[in-house]
Amino acid sequence: MAPPAQSQRSQSPSQPSGKSEVSDLKLQLRQLAGSRAPGVDDSKRELFKKVISYMTIGIDVSSLFGEMVMCSATSDIVLKKMCYLYVGNYAKVNPDLALLTINFLQRDCHDEDPMIRGLALRSLCSLRVANLVEYLVGPLGSGLKDSNSYVRTVAVVGVLKLYHISASTCVDADFPSTLKHLMLNDPDTQIVANCLSALEEIWSAEASTSEEAAREREALISKPFIYYLLNRIKEFSEWAQCLVLELVTKYVPSDSSEIFDIMNLLEDRLQHANGAVVLATVKVFLQLTLSMTDVHQQVYERIKAPLLTLVSSGSPEQSYAVLSHLHLLVMRAPYVFSSDYKHFYCQYNEPSYVKRLKLEMLTAVANESNTYEIVTELCEYAANVDIPIARESIRAVGKIALQQYDVNAIVDRLLQFLEMEKDYVTAEALVLVKDLLRKYPQWSHDCIAVVGNISSKNVQEPKAKAALIWMLGEYSQDMQDAPYILESLVENWDEEHSAEVRLHLLTAVMKCFFKRPPETQSALGAALAAGIGDFHQDVHDRALFYYRILRYNVSVAERVVNPPKQAVSVFADTQSSEIKDRIFDEFNSLSVLYQKSSYMFTDKEHRGPLEFADELGNLSIGEAAHNVISSQRVEENDKDLLLTTAEKEETRGSSNNGSVYAVPYDSSTSVFASQTQIESAISNPTTAGHSQHASFGIDDLLGLGMPAVPDVASPPQLKLNTKAALDPNAFQQKWRQLPVALSQELSLSPQAVASLTVPQALLRHMQSHSIHCIASGGQSPNFKFFFFAQKYEEPSNYLVECIINTTSAKAQVKIKADDQRTSQAFSSLFELALSKFGTP
Amino acid sequence: MLQCIFLLSDSGEVMLEKQLTGHRVDRSICDWFWDHVISQGDSFKSQPVIASPTHYLFQVVREGITFLACTQVEMPPLMGIEFLCRVSDVLSDYLGGLNEDVIKDNFVIVYELLDEMIDNGFPLTTEPNILREMIAPPNIVSKVLSVVTGNSSNVSDTLPGATGSCIPWRAADPKYANNEVYVDLVEEMDAVINRDGALVKCEVYGEVRVNSHLSGLPDLTLSFANPSILDDVRFHPCVRFRPWESHQILSFVPPDGEFKLMSYRVKKLKSTPIYVKPQLSSDAGKCRVNVLVGIRNDHGKTIDSITLQFQLPPCILSADLTSNTGTVNILGNKTCSWSIGRIPKDKTPSLSGTLVLESELERLHVFPTFRVGFKIMGVALSGLQIDKLDLKTAPSRLYKGFRALTRAGEFEVRS
Repeated sequence: MAPPAQSQRSQSPSQPSGKSEVSDLKLQLRQLAGSRAPGVDDSKRELFKKVISYMTIGIDVSSLFGEMVMCSATSDIVLKKMCYLYVGNYAKVNPDLALLTINFLQRDCHDEDPMIRGLALRSLCSLRVANLVEYLVGPLGSGLKDSNSYVRTVAVVGVLKLYHISASTCVDADFPSTLKHLMLNDPDTQIVANCLSALEEIWSAEASTSEEAAREREALISKPFIYYLLNRIKEFSEWAQCLVLELVTKYVPSDSSEIFDIMNLLEDRLQHANGAVVLATVKVFLQLTLSMTDVHQQVYERIKAPLLTLVSSGSPEQSYAVLSHLHLLVMRAPYVFSSDYKHFYCQYNEPSYVKRLKLEMLTAVANESNTYEIVTELCEYAANVDIPIARESIRAVGKIALQQYDVNAIVDRLLQFLEMEKDYVTAEALVLVKDLLRKYPQWSHDCIAVVGNISSKNVQEPKAKAALIWMLGEYSQDMQDAPYILESLVENWDEEHSAEVRLHLLTAVMKCFFKRPPETQSALGAALAAGIGDFHQDVHDRALFYYRILRYNVSVAERVVNPPKQAVSVFADTQSSEIKDRIFDEFNSLSVLYQKSSYMFTDKEHRGPLEFADELGNLSIGEAAHNVISSQRVEENDKDLLLTTAEKEETRGSSNNGSVYAVPYDSSTSVFASQTQIESAISNPTTAGHSQHASFGIDDLLGLGMPAVPDVASPPQLKLNTKAALDPNAFQQKWRQLPVALSQELSLSPQAVASLTVPQALLRHMQSHSIHCIASGGQSPNFKFFFFAQKYEEPSNYLVECIINTTSAKAQVKIKADDQRTSQAFSSLFELALSKFGTP
Repeated sequence: MLQCIFLLSDSGEVMLEKQLTGHRVDRSICDWFWDHVISQGDSFKSQPVIASPTHYLFQVVREGITFLACTQVEMPPLMGIEFLCRVSDVLSDYLGGLNEDVIKDNFVIVYELLDEMIDNGFPLTTEPNILREMIAPPNIVSKVLSVVTGNSSNVSDTLPGATGSCIPWRAADPKYANNEVYVDLVEEMDAVINRDGALVKCEVYGEVRVNSHLSGLPDLTLSFANPSILDDVRFHPCVRFRPWESHQILSFVPPDGEFKLMSYRVKKLKSTPIYVKPQLSSDAGKCRVNVLVGIRNDHGKTIDSITLQFQLPPCILSADLTSNTGTVNILGNKTCSWSIGRIPKDKTPSLSGTLVLESELERLHVFPTFRVGFKIMGVALSGLQIDKLDLKTAPSRLYKGFRALTRAGEFEVRS
């Protein structure tokens, strides 16, 4: 029955062995298809089972399609289910054959058993074959009106499936409004929840083309509807509760009493057995109280216990997800959790990804009162069998030391680590002692005494070796043997594989030389010679630089290499607070687990609700939908461009901000070209040409060392939403939260000054550039404005404070932005708009 | 929303594939996943949520079976993980355990279950009671029944009526000749004892498990003698929140059969029922081990199945350990396991012997953590006591049963 070509479609490697069996099955199915003998269902069932198990292991059984459909005319529900499963799997690749199944599925949709009606409807909608959508509308319509709630539940999801196959068919049949009616009136909460999830998706997708859909979507987060859901929340299934709670986070209550009402209503959700419900509730609480500082703190106290219980009672997978969220909260408000530090103690059996998070939290919650216990606990982990965790815990001790004022006890412990004679413990501890000394130079005496006893031969890890060498250089006046240790290290120059260590060695020998010249001189000579001959560009360059600066003037060299140092007060944080805030806004999402904001890891098309853009594109149904998508795409590409240029600038900036000594790699090439000459010049320093060469070299070096000015691409297109809306409360809240992205002073043209007699004049003008005013005031000559703008089709806001003085014709502008990286682009838009003010 | 669910065997073979949305997920994702797992060494160590180049993957491993779900959109992570955990619970409940064979034998049931548990990527019903009404489990009883009644379908004839009722967890009107309700307190003690023998952390995680076979719509109230000791509680959806908030009374209409009514935590306990005193002293490339185990507080109940396990550090070449009670085994992965059973009246169990270190090592620097197991019947170590259980409109014949049990959870002693 099936065309023979079908059987050759298979890509499966196991196909050859399955081929004869498949044709065997085909024969047997054909025999059974017409039979009405008693017990035929049982043998059919065995055969179907076989077919599906082949399907599961990846053998292509699509050639049996016809026979399977013929056999499915039965009253046996299990047979039907298996057949639906089969059909659902292969209909998409065999659209012609799918037509065959429509008939029997449609018939089943009118079966007297609601279970069969529901299953048939579900399978019908799961066929997902574009040219069959016409057959879906009828059964779906009657399914939505079915007297049985099971069928209605299935039908509602079916509408969403239909929408993804063909949006226009779904809208033309007026299904969205039917769903809306069901959502507001159906007694079964599962149906309400399914309607909600379907309508959210449909209206969000339609919102860009239809104003009505946009209005409807807004209505979902209106007060009456939210209250309608909240009042019934206990009747919803746990998963539907998650959905409702997610919707509630988008709702902005009008006043604080409403906020308290909602929180009171939802408080018992924190006790729910399902962790997903608890986290969704926590998110609602946190979002609602963002603008109320005091209550926000109380919320932290309230949610603490349920979250901690989730951590300790769930499976490792669940506790990992909860811990990631807890981690976020702990980082925001460590003091709230500081008395619960014992919850973050690691258990032996926990997977290391859980332990790692816990160690970070222990570091964060450490304060004056619990440091001692925490450090004691961490020290026990240092002897842990799990070496990566042992290392992490030593690092954690160091971090705590760096953030505390009273480091007495901690230093002792770190020094004990050094005596533990475990290579990785020593290594980690050395790095920490170095950091500690940079922050608390007053401890140098104690530390140096211990560090001096460590044989450099026992330290192999580059980072630790570098730290040791740094200390040898920095404290060479206090360490008796420093010059000699350095000398022996220089002697083994060739065996040192890490460039980082060699760089540190050069610097350390230099420092030592300034403190104890007679003892170090020979080591310095050897180090410089070895360094200049080094194949690594940075090492070579640094050695050369030292050599030349020494030749130029020794005291200048000392000022450069060994300046008086100030203790480091705060070490830079690895994660910016902006990113942390952003992740916090995305609480209860994957972003939290990755510790990255979603824009950093999800593809743009996946940020919103599921977009079946590519599929729709292939099927090219509904001209309108297609166009919308393509236009969206273009815009997103623009945005992408924008992001990438901004990111490039950022990375370049940071590479230039590195160590003072480090010479940017960019400059290496030309120096390299003249390297041989320079080397020969150095080997006989009396050559006349040398100084010329050298100075040229240095100039060259410095010249190229200047940060390369990145080519500024043509200003990226930023499109603003002409109908942006933001309520004053939200504005205030945002203004408080966001950091200032840009601050600048702009000049106004004389015409502008002349036109600005009342604030309103500027308001109208800016509005025509899609920049809206939320508040304004002042009298000539001083005006103050608060503007906002919204990115086109994206809820990304720009907030502007603009203070204009007409006598000086200057405008002080402060810009804050949700998406910091486009703030520059927005700023130029704003400037452009302002400069046009007053011109006719 | 979830787009696809795969079940993988412990060799990485795809046993089952369930596409949930029109956005088909190619099976090749499993190959990527399996390579990733292998590169991580141990699947236990790889994170539950990982990002593949094309999808975000949730994985939950139970009994060697990997439940893998894929999505491309941002979603609440716990929803994915929690759902997979439920799937594994429901399957193991239905199939009487989880392993490769049982899933392969019953894959039709697994498909049927998944079909009802999730539609279009959104979880629907995970309540075992309701699922049981829609799809009969393949147990012996139903097989026997089907032979007797001649009804060979394993789908029950009744409809999923509960989905429409206002008590979604309870099937409509079961009838029992003997009305019975059993309440079990099951507690697990988590404790950490540090190197100095001090109790760093000791808390109890407990569950109240109820097995109810009651006719009609029973309305139960359960109260505790000392509810104030409970630190944080989580309830089954059937528990009404207000009575608990005002009077610490559990008022509920129970699901039929077995379920977890509530879970709780009791923090800051002062003592453990048994003590473990490890002593390790190393000298000249050898380490002498001596571990004593004994009863600290007599609760009047016997402590059963006491076990002690620890991982020998990798730097140990050989171990010679003997005990005066019970048996000592050193397993292939250098895990030493000492099963004591009950503590005899006349002597204190002790484990002693020597560990031989790697040749260049003088002393032992990595210290093992001893994990302790025990079981005490008839007592809840948190001290929680059930005051009474009442049934509104009690049937004529009602049997109420109470039990308590405490086990060691994560009970570890560091040396």
